[in-house]
Amino acid sequence: MPDAAVRLTGITKRFPGVVANRDVDLTIERGEVHALCGENGAGKSTLMKILYGMQRPDEGTVEIDGEQVVLRSPADAIARGIGMVHQHFKLADNLTVLENVILGAEPRRFGRIDFAAARAAIRDMSARYGLRVDPDSLVQPLGVGDRQRVEILKVLYRGAKVLILDEPTAVLVPQEVDELFANLRELRAEGLTVLFISHKLDEVLSVADAISVIRRGTTVATRLDPAEVTARRLAELMVGSELPTPELRESTVTDEVQLDVAGLTVRTPEGRAVVDDVSLRIRRGEIVGLAGVEGNGQGELIEALMGIRPAASGTIRYGGVDVTHWPTRRRREAGIAYIPEDRHRHGLVLEAPLWENRMLGHQTERPNARGPWIDRRGARRDTARIAAEYDVRTPGIDVPAGALSGGNQQKLIVGREMSGAPKLLVAAHPTRGIDVGAQAAIWDALRAARAAGLAVLLVSADLEELIGMSDTLHVILRGRLVAEVDPRSVTPEDLGSAMTGAVS
Amino acid sequence: MNAVKKLRLPHYLLIAAGLLVLLSLVRVVDGANDVTSSGTVEAMLRLAVPIFLAGLGGLWAERAGVINIGLEGMMILGTWTGAWAGYQWGPWIGVLAGIAGGALGGLLHAVATVSFGVDHIVSGVAINILGLGLTQFLAGLVFNVGHAKELGGGPRQSPPVDPITKISLPVLSGGGGTPDWLGSLEKHHWFLVSDLAGVLRGLTHQMSLLTLVALLLVPVSYFVLWRTPFGLRVRSCGEDPYAAESLGVRVYRMKYAAVLISGGLAGLAGAFLVTVAAPIYQDGQTAGRGFIGLAAMIFGNWRPGGLAAGSLLFGYTDAMNVRDGGQAVHALLLFVAVLLVAVAAWQAWRRSFLAAGLAAVAAVGLLVWFLDSDVVPGELVSFSPHLTTLLVLALASQRLRMPAADGLRYRRGEAR
Ligand SMILES: Nc1ncnc2c1ncn2[C@@H]1O[C@H](COP(=O)(O)OP(=O)(O)OP(=O)(O)O)[C@@H](O)[C@H]1O
Ligand SMILES: [Mg+2]
Repeated sequence: MPDAAVRLTGITKRFPGVVANRDVDLTIERGEVHALCGENGAGKSTLMKILYGMQRPDEGTVEIDGEQVVLRSPADAIARGIGMVHQHFKLADNLTVLENVILGAEPRRFGRIDFAAARAAIRDMSARYGLRVDPDSLVQPLGVGDRQRVEILKVLYRGAKVLILDEPTAVLVPQEVDELFANLRELRAEGLTVLFISHKLDEVLSVADAISVIRRGTTVATRLDPAEVTARRLAELMVGSELPTPELRESTVTDEVQLDVAGLTVRTPEGRAVVDDVSLRIRRGEIVGLAGVEGNGQGELIEALMGIRPAASGTIRYGGVDVTHWPTRRRREAGIAYIPEDRHRHGLVLEAPLWENRMLGHQTERPNARGPWIDRRGARRDTARIAAEYDVRTPGIDVPAGALSGGNQQKLIVGREMSGAPKLLVAAHPTRGIDVGAQAAIWDALRAARAAGLAVLLVSADLEELIGMSDTLHVILRGRLVAEVDPRSVTPEDLGSAMTGAVS
Repeated sequence: MNAVKKLRLPHYLLIAAGLLVLLSLVRVVDGANDVTSSGTVEAMLRLAVPIFLAGLGGLWAERAGVINIGLEGMMILGTWTGAWAGYQWGPWIGVLAGIAGGALGGLLHAVATVSFGVDHIVSGVAINILGLGLTQFLAGLVFNVGHAKELGGGPRQSPPVDPITKISLPVLSGGGGTPDWLGSLEKHHWFLVSDLAGVLRGLTHQMSLLTLVALLLVPVSYFVLWRTPFGLRVRSCGEDPYAAESLGVRVYRMKYAAVLISGGLAGLAGAFLVTVAAPIYQDGQTAGRGFIGLAAMIFGNWRPGGLAAGSLLFGYTDAMNVRDGGQAVHALLLFVAVLLVAVAAWQAWRRSFLAAGLAAVAAVGLLVWFLDSDVVPGELVSFSPHLTTLLVLALASQRLRMPAADGLRYRRGEAR
């Protein structure tokens, strides 16, 4: 029998207050696509970071190709042919895509970087794997979808033999996911091993050769055959509960218009219209979904609504008042809540404790402030409430936000934004990286708030969520709203092709 | 957000040409020939080089994410070691010793900030104090005794160092006893022609070989930082060390290398002072040039070309100061007034009327001052470098962008 590509034995990793991994055994055979599932905070990312040399295990051994190794840094792992796409992007904003991709593995010519060769290689790869990016663009203006593509290119470029993908597809739409995995399968034929983490169980079942489930730091099932398990069974293994489905029961839509966007256009610094003449109405008690492949203007639209980006023309009326030129703070104080697409760049201060993060964006309001003063006690009490209500798994509210697992960070943001009775919620990928159990809780919270009159603009790459949670569903393509579809009758497949402009 | 277009070399040449025409104009109008005389340009270059080298040191460190406010101290170390080696074994050995002295300061800074996570500012200030105190102490110990004292050393200065060879371009600028065409052209004080001659002669007459080396460091630094794998890795540490780490870049090593280079460049700036500017070590010789270098670096947006431009600007105002240029500065009032009118027009076109208004008011004020007087008094001339710093930074700061992780503490393995 040939040696396994990766064998982890008895891995234990402790952090202050939590055991992230407890005596984990996991074997990955060469040439397979192996999926790793588990609830938020189960310890998946930690295990992968150990394999990538970013964390040292407290106990246990790592074997690669049958040889026991000690990985002291990512450099060691890279030297052994391991590559990793991180759950949270590791990109330098002010370097170009090309520089980010080649960093650490630069093609050389006479001692200098061979930019032409690098550019050609990236173009070639992005064509082959359907990962469209412009190598010479700065990373700074890119949205999460583009960033995810750059991250994937980074590992492919290194020609890794073992690919670790930590939620690589969280913000990719199904077509892109299919394209990516079709190509990964091709690579698999050449002996590539893929290890990937995902909360999308359908995706897991369709692409994986074997599935392992982690729960509270240990493996509860290893090497399941996708042909023999169902999504329901996986969910049970993960969180011990039923698989939730996003759906809205009765309509709560009222006649009162909460947000009225008319002819909104947003331009890039170069003058290109990224949001082009968009008109949109959201009534109280209504959830309006926005479907589109990442990078078609949804990010810019949201930022314009929040006042982060100026509108080139058009008006935004909020509850009948023209807020087009209001600054962000004023909009937030008026009751607009915001779940940003990239929680690390816009949602949290990773070094600050949870209760300080609780105040961000609401630092002038109760319970965080009293007059001009910060109300520490109020903020702390409310943080504890959010942690309990939204099931944020944390040892306490004084740990830095960066110590939470990705999904738990997201829950904290959602809990924060749903506090203080907002009137309008602008939500980008609200359940990104959240496990199926917690997803249900967030959908419940959304439904309850909607019944109480909350208006929601929902952007998501999860088509099931979009279709199930929207009262009205628009399709955005190249900055324009190109179609309105009925969420009650549309199928994910139809919606998918409308998003790519295949049909109109 | 306004449109940001990329400026390329032709643009910069055009801008430079335009400024020269304008300078020439105000020179003729005011009869202030020192505005573009070769003497002024020569002085400008000589005064700009140490600022530039110190700024380049800052640029290297900050590109790797380490703020280096200790440049001044490293520069002082460079002056002392440079002079100590220079008076004994010749100026070029002095230059090498200066680099080594500065690099030693850089090493200290790297150990403190990179290995021990000391706050960059705290460490920098400590190095400034240390550099000053140590050299004063060592000067008394080494230069004030025996042979060194006989050669002219003392507790506050070293024996003289042989200056580094200066060269002039033959034929054009009178190198090696050949004719001095540019010099004779300049004497006619013709519009534009004489100005061009003056500037060119200033740049090619009696230039120290070390100045030439410094000039070469502009393209060399650009090439290394932006075109080689090493440079990319250094810059990635200044932008996002955790991203760099996740790709196997040895962040500590890169930071050490960059801060060592930074210290070496600051030391070179010090060595320049003792082998070219005043061929001797003196207490207090650096006179804050390390800090002005940092300002020039910020003005240049953390890029070598911009830094060079900033250094020349500071060198120019400094040259006015040392050449007692009350008349020339008077002419420059007109120059700045015209520029401000242009700024006002541009801001008005961009519909930022407040900025336009302010610029217009300032322009009118300067114009009135210009018409109302004949020379600018000496006190104000000596203040002009500082004023320029303020003005330029205020105008330029909107477009500046420092490395994203500049000054932040980095610990291996703390990535989220
Ligand atoms: N740097 C750290 N410091 C302290 N605790 C940490 C750190 N990193 C992770 N943890 C803790 O370890 C546990 C496992 O986290 P991990 O990120 O591995 O979860 P995960 O399975 O990837 O979850 P998710 O699906 O939400 O991404 C969590 O309880 C988390 O709070
Ligand atoms: Mg994770």
